[in-house]
Amino acid sequence: MGSDERKKIEKGLTFTSEEKADKYRAIYYAGASGDFNPIHIDPDFGEMVGLGGAILHGMCTLGFCSKAITGLTGDPGKLKRLKCRFSAPVLIEDTVTILGEVYEIIENRAKVTLKVTRQTGEEVLTGVTAEIEV
Amino acid sequence: MAIDRKFIGKSWPHVKYEVCREKIREYALAIKDPDPHYIDEEFAKKTVYGDIIAPPTFAAVFGVKLMEMVFSDKELNLNVAMLVHGEQDYEFYEVVKAGDRLTTHSRIVDIRIKEKLDIFSVELLTENQHGRNVCRGIYTFVVRK
Repeated sequence: MGSDERKKIEKGLTFTSEEKADKYRAIYYAGASGDFNPIHIDPDFGEMVGLGGAILHGMCTLGFCSKAITGLTGDPGKLKRLKCRFSAPVLIEDTVTILGEVYEIIENRAKVTLKVTRQTGEEVLTGVTAEIEV
Repeated sequence: MAIDRKFIGKSWPHVKYEVCREKIREYALAIKDPDPHYIDEEFAKKTVYGDIIAPPTFAAVFGVKLMEMVFSDKELNLNVAMLVHGEQDYEFYEVVKAGDRLTTHSRIVDIRIKEKLDIFSVELLTENQHGRNVCRGIYTFVVRK
């Protein structure tokens, strides 16, 4: 998004993005982050512990949320807070949809809430809030 | 066996991490975020930061060694097979740039014992080579019993 197209961050602004947990996403994330927990990289292990296969790192999903917000501001340094609860796993080949809304602006901080679901409609992260410097 | 609440306040030796632009690039592409702030040196030079910066959640990368120390701690004796990451809360104070030398301190800030779960939270506080805080992360884990 170029700066000319960027929307003004104000109360009520909504935004959306979609990310696919493609087949090797958890492998890439494991290599990049150093988190090689077998539930993320070994489908057999994921099956064995009742997850139905390998699951994406929750932190990768939170990274997708960070991207949705920093894409909005155009400056990653404006993101000042990001929090969530990991409520359900993202399985490999799932599609994650992020719906964001600026719900409040106090002084120089915009507060944002995000609804993060997989294609079944299940929320994979809950209580997702962020604060952006405006 | 439940985690003993006496471990609230327990800390581990600080961990140092030197931020490299190739690692930033690798991480940014892993979260599918090719923002030029992270991967384009020419673009980055012209920003207010003057260099490649890391995505905010790169904090997970310089936190991972400390998490390994927590998970393998003999006193805590966690059942790692039953452990999941429950919640995450980051506050970002200053951007992390390529070349930064970071120091991260850790301590347990909360332990809650429930009938079928133990919940514990670890605070990671990271400062850069200038002695300024860059990030505070509260990592909350759930251990099923």
